[in-house]
Formats: sequence, structure tokens, C-alpha cells
Amino acid sequence: MTNTEEIWILAEHDANRVQPVTFQLITKARAIAAGRRVVVVLLEGTQEHFAEQISAYGPDEIIRVSADSLERPADSTAASALMQLMAKRQPNAMLFAATAQGRSIAPRLQAKLGTGLTADCLDLRFDGDNLVAVKPSYGDNVMCEITCPQRRPQMVSVRPNTFTAEKAGGVRTKITTAELTLAAPKGIVIEDEQVAVSSATGVTGASKVIALGRGAKGDATVARTRQLAARLGASVGVSRPLTDRDDFTVEQQIGQSGNTIAPDFLLNVGISGATQYLVGIDQAKLIVSVNRDADAPIMAQSDYTYTGDAEAFLKAFANRLDVK
Amino acid sequence: MKIVVCIKQVPESNNVKFDPVTHNLLRSASTGRINPYDKNAIEAALRLRDTVGGSVSVLTMGPPAAEETLRDGLAMGADDAYLLSSRAFGGADTLATGYTIAQAIRKIGGVDLLVFGRQAVDADTGQVGPIVAELLDQPQVTFASKIAVLDDHTLHVTRDLDDRKQTIRLTLPAVLSVRSELNTPRYETPVNIQDSFTKPLTVWNEKDIAADPTRIGLQGSPTVVTKVFAPENAGRQNQQLTGTPAEAVDQLINILQQQNLI
Ligand SMILES: Cc1cc2nc3c(=O)[nH]c(=O)nc-3n(C[C@H](O)[C@H](O)[C@H](O)COP(=O)(O)OP(=O)(O)OC[C@H]3O[C@@H](n4cnc5c(N)ncnc54)[C@H](O)[C@@H]3O)c2cc1C
Ligand SMILES: Nc1ncnc2c1ncn2[C@@H]1O[C@H](COP(=O)(O)O)[C@@H](O)[C@H]1O
Repeated sequence: MTNTEEIWILAEHDANRVQPVTFQLITKARAIAAGRRVVVVLLEGTQEHFAEQISAYGPDEIIRVSADSLERPADSTAASALMQLMAKRQPNAMLFAATAQGRSIAPRLQAKLGTGLTADCLDLRFDGDNLVAVKPSYGDNVMCEITCPQRRPQMVSVRPNTFTAEKAGGVRTKITTAELTLAAPKGIVIEDEQVAVSSATGVTGASKVIALGRGAKGDATVARTRQLAARLGASVGVSRPLTDRDDFTVEQQIGQSGNTIAPDFLLNVGISGATQYLVGIDQAKLIVSVNRDADAPIMAQSDYTYTGDAEAFLKAFANRLDVK
Repeated sequence: MKIVVCIKQVPESNNVKFDPVTHNLLRSASTGRINPYDKNAIEAALRLRDTVGGSVSVLTMGPPAAEETLRDGLAMGADDAYLLSSRAFGGADTLATGYTIAQAIRKIGGVDLLVFGRQAVDADTGQVGPIVAELLDQPQVTFASKIAVLDDHTLHVTRDLDDRKQTIRLTLPAVLSVRSELNTPRYETPVNIQDSFTKPLTVWNEKDIAADPTRIGLQGSPTVVTKVFAPENAGRQNQQLTGTPAEAVDQLINILQQQNLI
């Protein structure tokens, strides 16, 4: 394949907004581009218009494909749209968000192209023409650098909140419209789509998070934490065992099978720090942990630790802030 | 309904060893266990079989020792097992793995539903299911959190995306990958464990599945691991808050104030 020296990014959006991870990917792509053009592929419904939000982050170009079937495309439809675009212009690299959607579309496209795809990257850089993807393995016990030297495009997915998005001034983003023929997907009808619970109660975008684990699972503790969180402007997150409670779901779960978070402040209470949990909090800025076991693994991953009882600490914190 | 569940053997613990030259995992170094998410896939398949009838096969690509993992699947209640095993399959990345599994599914023939786990806990990619779906030109529903049978050829599936839920009507043959919230995997019973040793287990190599030698194993894998290293500690300070809870909270509030977080 010829190399047109372009880095492509698949934009992700729901009905209302472009996902922040798309902006994060654009910012990172611009930072490592070294002369390569940064191109965002935007698949959207005919009533949707997301290009403007995206252009604020300064890609060189947005390829907009608009069709009714792209409002809620099947994975195979999105992959087929990308394949058709790539038949016209072959990018050097293609970046996806490591979201449920990105993780579903990217491998289908990968199989069409017969190229390499590295999932869930934590860092990216170019080494000559090769995109070097840094990726954790074995529950983040090992880091790997992975390349795809022989085939193009070289594809990766990146966890949300791994990079910081920055708006870019002074870039004139070219907007191109592409017309594609999209067949109805075979064997699949997406009948309905609903926003799960309220995203506002999720932990992904929160700037402060109080996370509760098995050591802080009582009703009174949870109730107190909710009030404390409200007072601090924080979200309440949980380790996986607490999703057994009726009032928590995977929406609030932090970790490998939950959410990756990147708050400015994270308070872990009664959480041991299993690797599956720790992968979700890597990007938090200030981490404070309370555990009665000074040797719990979470303690080594924290900026500040307090060895003591969860309930007593939360009570003192609430008292100090005049939360009842 | 003819169902095949793809399961992977993963290292017992995440303390793993690597070949310093090829950077490949030294699998023999640790005994394996079944990828925990794949138990949810088996459970989902068994429940479907119990509702509509049919059969459940478990399939894995791996070294001969992966037979143990297949026996686990049989002990949970699967009817038979396929082991794709050959030196030529070694060093496969997700693309080569997906191709190998797709070839085996073609060879088995007449498969209505393929079920995958959400992801393997060693590499965490979740790619193999969608790759197989694409290679077989079948629809896929990833991250399934609820499965209902409408009729012999149609499923109604709830799919959990990060902030949305989709309700999907899926016509078989098709590919599913399941979330762990979908179900609680059953335990192996002593009777089933005993039975598992008498249930049929077929071993196939690359010739048996008519695989293109350039698309399997190391040769069929476009990605290359160029470096393996220990993650650096994020440089956390590990300072202690001390005293009574009230004193510790005062120290914390001080820190939060200094950083304009409160
Ligand atoms: C495939 C897979 C995926 C997973 N994904 C996730 C995931 O996404 N997120 C996740 O969180 N987990 C996940 N897990 C589970 C994970 O391995 C751990 O089991 C889980 O994180 C433990 O939660 P915990 O720390 O709350 O509980 P525990 O490990 O039981 O720890 C409780 C902690 O609380 C402390 N404690 C107890 N009582 C008190 C007290 N009164 N005061 C203060 N401290 C106290 C204890 O010292 C202990 O450290 C996954 C597991 C698997 C196999
Ligand atoms: N070697 C393998 N043999 C059989 N199934 C596999 C293999 N590798 C992965 N899978 C299946 O694909 C799913 C996703 O794996 P992965 O893409 O490696 O994260 C797993 O949960 C299994 O269902």
C-alpha cells in the first residue's frame, strides 16, 4: 500500500456529543505527527453535525460521511465505511478509542485489511515510519512495545483519558464529504438505544472521585460517602465487589472490567488494590487511600495513605466538612 | 442450536515469564487456567442449549496442555471439544488466532452461534471474536449483557456500550461476545468432571483445517512485540497521614487546599 502519511482517527459520538476521547486522540496525534496529516473520520446521521466540535481540536481534515444508517451503525457497517474510505486513500496509521464501540469496530476492520491492531495502548510514538504502541499486559504487570512493521495502516486503540485534550487555535480544518454506498448490515437490527442510567452518575469524567471497596460497604458508610461526595463535588466510584449492591452498577465500577478514570483527586476507601482495579486509576493525579492494612497493594500506588478504619475516617471527614 | 464457545487458557497468575529473545510468553512455565470471562461464555451457551436444545462445543487454540481447559468446559456441561494444536500455530497474534479459529469453524460446519468471552485477561484485547465474525462474514454483538431466544434463528440481545444500552435483533448464524454481568457460571459437579474424560475431544492441526500457512502462527501475525519491560511505579509519594482519623482528615484537607481541590 502506498503511504500517504496520514494518521486517521475514528471520531466517536453519541446522539448529543463527540466523546472526549476523540479530542484526546487528535491532540496526541498532532503531538506525534511530525509532518503527517491528522485526519478525523466522522460517521454521522443525516441530522447530525459534529464537525465543528471536532475542528476546535485542530485536525488537518475531517472526512465526513453522512447517512441515515450511520446514526447508529452496526459494527460491520462502520467497518465497511472505513474500508471504503481506505480504498481511496491509505492512511499510515489509524487510531481508535478503546471504548466498547471502538473495540468492536477496529478488529472487524483489521480482519478486512489483514493488518495489525494493538489494543488498549497507554502511549504512542513514531519510530521512523513505525508507530510504536505501548501497551500493558497481564493485568498491567508487564508493559510491551508493539509495532506492525510490514503492513499498513498500523492500527491501535487507546483507553479514554490516557491523553489530555487541548484545543488548537490557528489550524484551518478542511472538511471533506465522502459519499459511500452502505449496504444494510446482514443479520442485525439495532432496534433501540438508550443512555444507560445517567452518565452524570458515572465516574469516567469526574474530577474528584471517592471510591469504596469491600472494606467500606455498609449502608451507613455508603450513605455518608454520598453526602460527603456531594459536598466535595465528587462522584462515588466502587471496586467490583460493590456492584453487587443494588445501588451500584458497572457505571460506577473502576478498573479493567469497569471504567478508567482520571480525576484530579481520588480517595480510595477499603480497597485492596487488585491489579484489575489499579489499571483503572493509573491516570489519577492525587491518590489518597485509607485501609486498615498498611501493606495492602493500594498503599504503594498512593500519594498519601492512612492506615485505619474506613468508617471512622469517613465520619471524621464528614464531620470536618459539616456534613451530617 | 449448534453452539461453539471459544475459550482460552491463560496463565494461572499474572506473574509471568517471557522468552528474552522472542519476547513470547513462556507458557510452559506456569500452569494455565481457563480465562475467567470465557466461563461466562460457556454458561451463556449452556443456558441457550437448555432452552432450545442443540449442542455446545468448546474450542481452543493452544498447546497440548490446553486440553485441561477444554476438560473444564466439558465439566461445566459442554458436549464435546476441539483443540487446535500445532507448532505452526505458535506465536499467533489476534489476527492469526482469529483466522485459525475461523478455519476450524468452517471445518466443523453448520455452526449457528459462536460465543466468545469479553476478553482474555492476559492481553486484554477482545479482538478475536470480531475478527472471526468478519472472516466468516457474520453479524456480531459484542459486550452482550442479556440474551433472549425469539425463535430457532433469532436472538434478542442487550448490548452494553460504555454509556448506552442497545437492544439488538440478531439473526443466526452469528457471533456473540459476552459481558461477565450476563450470568454467574455454574460450578463443575463431580459427575460432570468424571464425564468430561469420556466426552469426545478432537485435535486438529493446520492441515486438518486447511489453513493457509502464511496466515497462521508467527508468520500470519502482523504485530511484533519489540520490547517487554516492567511498568514504572507512577512515582507516587507514599506519604502517611497520621494520628487519629480527625487528625488525618485535617492533614488531608490541608493538602487539598494547597492544591486548590477544595
Ligand atoms: C477478569 C477480572 C476482571 C476484574 N475486573 C475488576 C474491575 O474492573 N474492577 C475491580 O475493582 N475489580 C475487578 N476484579 C476483581 C479484583 O480482582 C478484586 O477482587 C477486587 O478489585 C477487590 O475489591 P476490593 O478491593 O473492594 O475488595 P478486597 O480485595 O476484599 O479488599 C478489601 C480491602 O479493604 C480493607 N478493609 C477491610 N475492612 C476495612 C475497614 N473496616 N477499614 C479499612 N479498610 C478495610 C482490607 O484490608 C482490604 O484491603 C476483576 C477480577 C477478574 C478476575
Ligand atoms: N487461543 C484461543 N483459542 C480459543 N479462543 C480464544 C483464543 N484466544 C482468544 N479466544 C477467544 O476470544 C476472546 C477474546 O480474546 P482476546 O481477543 O485475546 O482478548 C476470549 O475470551 C476467547 O473467547
